[in-house]
Amino acid sequence: MLDVYHAEPTGASARVLIVLEEKALEFRSHYVDVLALEHCRAPVAELAPGEDLPVLVRGGVASAGVSAVCELLDEAYPERPLMPKGARDRWCARVWQKHVDDVIAPAVSGLAWQAYRERFLQSVTRDELERSVERIEALDERVRWRAALGGYGEEQLARADARVEESLLRVETTLSANEWLAGPLFSLADIAVFAYFKYLSGLCGARLSESRTPRTLTWLRAVSQRSPVRAALARGRAHDPFTTATPAPEPIRWG
Amino acid sequence: MAIELYFFQPLGTNSGRVFLALIEKGVPFIERELDGVAFEHLRPAYLAINPRGQVPALVHDGRPLTEGAPICEYIDEAFAGPALRPADLDERCTMRRWCRYLDVDLGRAVMMIHWNRIVPAFVGARSPEEVERIIASVPDPDRRRAWRRAYLQQTPPEELAESHRRIAAGAARIEQALARGPWLAGRSFSLADIDLLSFYAFLAKWSPEVVNELTTPRTLDWIARMEERPAVRELRARSRMPQRAPVSERGAVAARA
Repeated sequence: MLDVYHAEPTGASARVLIVLEEKALEFRSHYVDVLALEHCRAPVAELAPGEDLPVLVRGGVASAGVSAVCELLDEAYPERPLMPKGARDRWCARVWQKHVDDVIAPAVSGLAWQAYRERFLQSVTRDELERSVERIEALDERVRWRAALGGYGEEQLARADARVEESLLRVETTLSANEWLAGPLFSLADIAVFAYFKYLSGLCGARLSESRTPRTLTWLRAVSQRSPVRAALARGRAHDPFTTATPAPEPIRWG
Repeated sequence: MAIELYFFQPLGTNSGRVFLALIEKGVPFIERELDGVAFEHLRPAYLAINPRGQVPALVHDGRPLTEGAPICEYIDEAFAGPALRPADLDERCTMRRWCRYLDVDLGRAVMMIHWNRIVPAFVGARSPEEVERIIASVPDPDRRRAWRRAYLQQTPPEELAESHRRIAAGAARIEQALARGPWLAGRSFSLADIDLLSFYAFLAKWSPEVVNELTTPRTLDWIARMEERPAVRELRARSRMPQRAPVSERGAVAARA
């Protein structure tokens, strides 16, 4: 049996949940409320100390690191493959996943947190939250929360905005040559980008339009309509998970 | 069809790991060394191969492949030879997690400190205008920002301190992993070991206080075992600028004693 510890089905959590649903695997879903700092306590903090969600437990072994976990699932359950066959297309899928981890995830999550954090912050007592943050044992996570509570600076948001625009053009260009991002097969690359790009209509809708990014819009619709994707996105608590956010992963510190 | 590798000397970080992966796999390749000090990687001839202006790039069947970690997996998948990834899938997942950690967390901390120390010597006698022109021509915005910060010595001291903290934490994390198995990902030698070797010299050079016989004996033993691998010996022989970790000499002695 597989166990997956995940947050709202956006970003990294959505990626792993979509892979599990695409492969029609049986798994136990354990919802972890990141805004209540549940990921900083047992069982997650003990299963994978210092790691981000989601965490997969398979045969008693806990694995983290979203791209590594997605590839593990694809290799361990080869039916309904989500990696292309040829070495060059597989390289391409990995380059996309790396671009998501390095660039798209911190940029989109940063903009999403900035847009949706007020809703969350209004629902909690600020002093209490700050005290809880200071009690987070893992320093990296404590630092991430401190930065998030204050709101991200203008420079970081401007960098994020530029990175989203650049990534959007890259997706649009790629889709002019291929049906999917890494070639003829729907792959981990599409899942990775989709898990963040699904946020864009709410965050920067003007950037997406039939005249500017027609192929990206068609692609977003096609991915959204897949039933495994719909099933994965229903694994959260929010009516629309893409109107919720958690503190963003760190942007690349040194290029 | 010829296989060509575009890279920088010294053979550290991204250039070093792909160079070593090719030798470990037993893939013959043509060396296309670029002169980093002359900024050859920003000239049109190379930008046609990698528009991001970064090394390494592997050209196979006339088509380029970029990005260190994905190239290394490509080498393992596209060519016959000894496996560079564990057959055990959980261990393989651990390998990928390590490669990413070394690449974006520990590796960036090391590079931040390294660049801040070497960039003044690197730009040499160029005028500030010329340096600004070169920096402005760097295609990747994060890389451009790093260059500018290092050149103007504008990296905030708290960020440098944070990098030192991460290096100390990383050295401890590596030491712990090597207590669980002979290689970074566990029982099998893998791309994670190749990645670590490729920037460990920088780590040992700038942070000897966190890499020494007292605090990281297993890591020194690992370095000694790595240096004895035929592929690593060949890598050293093909390096114009040796980048061996200073501590590896002692590690090698300790391993033989």
